[in-house]
Amino acid sequence: MKKAIIFSLAFLMVFAALSSCRGRARVEEVTPPPPPPEVVEQPEVETVEKVEEPVVVKEPELTEEEIFMSKTLEEINLEAPLQMIHFDYDKYFIRDDAKFVLEANADWLKKYDAIVILIEGHCDERGTEEYNLALGEKRAKSTLDYLASLGISTDRIRTISYGKSVPLDPEHNEISWQKNRRAQFLIIKK
Amino acid sequence: MKIKWILLGGIIIFLAVLILHPQQEVVISIKEGMPAIPLALPDFMVRSSSPETKALAQELHKIISDDLKYSRVFQLLPKSYYSYIRPLNPEEIFFKDWESIQANILFVGEVQESDGKKILFEGKIYDVKAGRLIFGKRYQSEKVLLRLVAHKMADEIMKIYGERELFTSKIVFISNRDGNDELYMMDYDGHNQTRVTFNKKQDYMPAWSADGKKIAYTSYRNNRAGLYILNPFKGEITEVVSKGTNFAPTFSPDGKKLAFCSTMEEGNPEIYVATSEGKKIKRLTFNKAIDTAPSWSPTSREIAFTSDRGGTPQIYIMDAEGSNIRRISFGGNYHDAPAWSPAGGRIAYVSRVDQIFDIYALNLRTEQVVKLTESNARNETPSWSPDGRHLVFSSNITGTIQLYTIDYDGSNLRRLTSKGESKLPDWSR
Repeated sequence: MKKAIIFSLAFLMVFAALSSCRGRARVEEVTPPPPPPEVVEQPEVETVEKVEEPVVVKEPELTEEEIFMSKTLEEINLEAPLQMIHFDYDKYFIRDDAKFVLEANADWLKKYDAIVILIEGHCDERGTEEYNLALGEKRAKSTLDYLASLGISTDRIRTISYGKSVPLDPEHNEISWQKNRRAQFLIIKK
Repeated sequence: MKIKWILLGGIIIFLAVLILHPQQEVVISIKEGMPAIPLALPDFMVRSSSPETKALAQELHKIISDDLKYSRVFQLLPKSYYSYIRPLNPEEIFFKDWESIQANILFVGEVQESDGKKILFEGKIYDVKAGRLIFGKRYQSEKVLLRLVAHKMADEIMKIYGERELFTSKIVFISNRDGNDELYMMDYDGHNQTRVTFNKKQDYMPAWSADGKKIAYTSYRNNRAGLYILNPFKGEITEVVSKGTNFAPTFSPDGKKLAFCSTMEEGNPEIYVATSEGKKIKRLTFNKAIDTAPSWSPTSREIAFTSDRGGTPQIYIMDAEGSNIRRISFGGNYHDAPAWSPAGGRIAYVSRVDQIFDIYALNLRTEQVVKLTESNARNETPSWSPDGRHLVFSSNITGTIQLYTIDYDGSNLRRLTSKGESKLPDWSR
């Protein structure tokens, strides 16, 4: 008897427990409220802040040196960063006014230390062809020597003479002759 | 007594000076050029009735006549003299007739047309006094080569008298007529001006090889002034050197050597010598001053050149090995571009006085200097003809730089070019 009572009690308890479980689940399903409309407003603020970075990173600021290196030799020579110098009639020594020019040129060459230059010696028409070609070479050479004395390696300098065959000014007067007696610079390697 | 003798001696010396002075000039004029040989050049015979052949014969006659007049070796008899004697009959020449009008030489030419396009030209040279044929030659050529035929014939006449070929010689020069400085060549009289280089580079200072087959010259390529040797008839170019500035090439008359100026070592203009192929380059001058513009002596044993080792550009001579240097120009402070005459006795050069350049010739035996050009201009780069009687040079007398020839004594100035500007001539040997 006792056993029959215990079984029936246990049965009842299990039943009751099961039936109570079902009842609770149903209640919970009904209760949660729909999400409030306020949540939609917040993402709008966040997207405004994000726009800045990706495009800007691809184009970095160029340094002066990088801009220089990006140019072709023709473009650089067109800008003539190295000023030409002039000489006295029949002479090839470096004049005082030319020394300042060469100092500035040397500073520039120190800044761009991969540059290799060609110094062209030129003469005016009042010298003979043969002697002038030699004189033009002397002018280029004394320009080279002066730049070397300012610390520019001679490995970076080549010389050539055009004599009187490439005048800057084709006129035949003192002004044009002075213009034509010159050493000018050509950048041949960077 | 003593005073008498002294007086007498003085008078004798005085008279001697008076007598010797004009005599000296006579001696010089004989040295400068023997008296021209009188030559008769009657119209050429034409074995054809075609007017074209007759015109060609006249043209041939004119060219040969111009050549011989230019030579200074021959003196053409005036045409009017021929009217005093019987007309020329090639089959039977009356030499007494020709002797009577003072002809030493008689040239008889005959022109024939062969198969329409070609001409046949025969020339015979007679010794009038001996009444015999000295030389005869026949040429056949295309009509377009008429000038060459005439020049070849005239050169044969020169050769009989031991002279070098002059009329078939060529002058190479630089001109900018087609845009930039390129090499050109032409006949001695300015005809047949032909472009030789087509490189669009600046070409400079050409010089003929001794055999007239090659030209050495400077060309500016890749920012270098290299020295090159060109065979213009084959179109072959070889590089001699491209380090430094290389210029003023000149081949030795014996055909073995090439001298030039270069800055290849220390950047200073020095004179170098190489084989005529431009190999085995050897330095000749060692001086901090400018050494440039070499010119060989006719024996190829000495070289004249310009140097400013004394402070101003002057002309010096050294042995072909670079030793025994001595100065030969005096009395001025700017001398350049020496050109040693193939005949040996003279060096022509440019002298600058008050910014005017004139060409002078120094007689090496008498040390007498003759001024050849007289103009308020820049006369430059003299180069001798193969026989040493004429010079070609450049001048800006008309405003532009053009080429001219002049004789060794300053006579017979002739203009050769007119297109663009032309300069730096070199006359083949």
